[in-house]
Amino acid sequence: MGGPGITEAPGTLGTGIGWRPEIADDIAELPGVDWVEVVAENLCPGHLPEPLRRLRTRGLPVVPHGVSLGLGGAERPDLARLAALADLAEALGSPLVSEHIAFVRSGGGLLPSHRLEAGHLLPVPRTRDALDVLCANVRLAQEALPVPLALENIAGYLSWPDEEFTEGAFLAELVERTGVRLLVDVANLHTNHVNRGEDPARALDELPVEAIAYVHVAGGHERDGVWHDTHAHPVGPPVLEVLADLCSRVTPPGVLLERDDDFPSADGLAAELDAVRAVTARTACRAG
Amino acid sequence: MPDDLDAARRRLARAQHDLLSALVEGTPPPPGFDPDRLAVQRDVLLAKRLRVVAKTAPELTGILGGRYRPLFLAYAAGRPMEHGYRADARDFARHLLRTAAVSGEPARRLTEWAAATEETTRPGPLRRLTTALTRSRTKGGDR
Repeated sequence: MGGPGITEAPGTLGTGIGWRPEIADDIAELPGVDWVEVVAENLCPGHLPEPLRRLRTRGLPVVPHGVSLGLGGAERPDLARLAALADLAEALGSPLVSEHIAFVRSGGGLLPSHRLEAGHLLPVPRTRDALDVLCANVRLAQEALPVPLALENIAGYLSWPDEEFTEGAFLAELVERTGVRLLVDVANLHTNHVNRGEDPARALDELPVEAIAYVHVAGGHERDGVWHDTHAHPVGPPVLEVLADLCSRVTPPGVLLERDDDFPSADGLAAELDAVRAVTARTACRAG
Repeated sequence: MPDDLDAARRRLARAQHDLLSALVEGTPPPPGFDPDRLAVQRDVLLAKRLRVVAKTAPELTGILGGRYRPLFLAYAAGRPMEHGYRADARDFARHLLRTAAVSGEPARRLTEWAAATEETTRPGPLRRLTTALTRSRTKGGDR
């Protein structure tokens, strides 16, 4: 089975922030926000929030970020969920959409057991079986979506036994076989470093950096030897160091700050974005 | 190839269900997982559920105040989510009413809220159709 290669690049996005209703007013005023990402499941294409429509009018790209497809799950992706994501991308005129390499539900369908919803992203075992299923699911999603798809590495709290791939090798083969683009979350690479002992530099060595559509940056905190990817804390030096490592290898088309809770003031958000820009600008100068 | 893929889907379905069931239903964990990390992941899922239900249905925390957290944790302990967060919020409210965990004015407001959300959380005809189609296609081959 020949690899289709990487799909066409959606262009440069710049520095963005995760759009949330709680900080909609601040985002409208923040200087230097080039684009935003929205949680796809929280929006209805026919009833887009007014502040978000104003950003679209100003020409800011809006990228839908899905959390419920579960493309790493054993089942084929749900057609209604895919159609909803496609409709939202059309309504927003989005250059691409993103989702996760994760499973979020189980049971029913393939199994004579009841259905369970995790309500959150769970890691896929990095095995040949799981990779084959993921690739098949990604192709079904790509057929249903009007724009390129980017997939994100998730934060892991546990490890599957008997894995056959490292994270980077798993991502490399996924890209090779499907042409999907990557959303690399550097906070999740840091999470997996603390929680699973996986070196972010090795993951960046092995994954195809030219397939990166954009990068996620977020804060978290460590408790009892476990990194919690909370999106409720400021972005700290360890996560910014992984971002710097990534930017020393490639200039990512976009970098996006995620904040979901304990929102700081507008000044606080601006400072977070400045910290991200300082890293991307510094590494760009060094590369140039 | 499609046969191989179907077999891979079934093996993966079993493995993922065993893990998720251990995390949300407390069934014995599949072999090879670190028990401490399973406990961390279980807590992460529960904390997320507590937080997202409160955010999805702020009326619940408005009605229950400080009792929301203990009541929700008691409800969630034996009840994994089978649908999304909106359905979970509605089921939680129904559970409180059925078990008479709340009474008086909060119970009246909860009854009103549960009735109002009934319509919005029931799967629509399109959803039921696509679910049926997806199920009927699972025996077909993949590319």
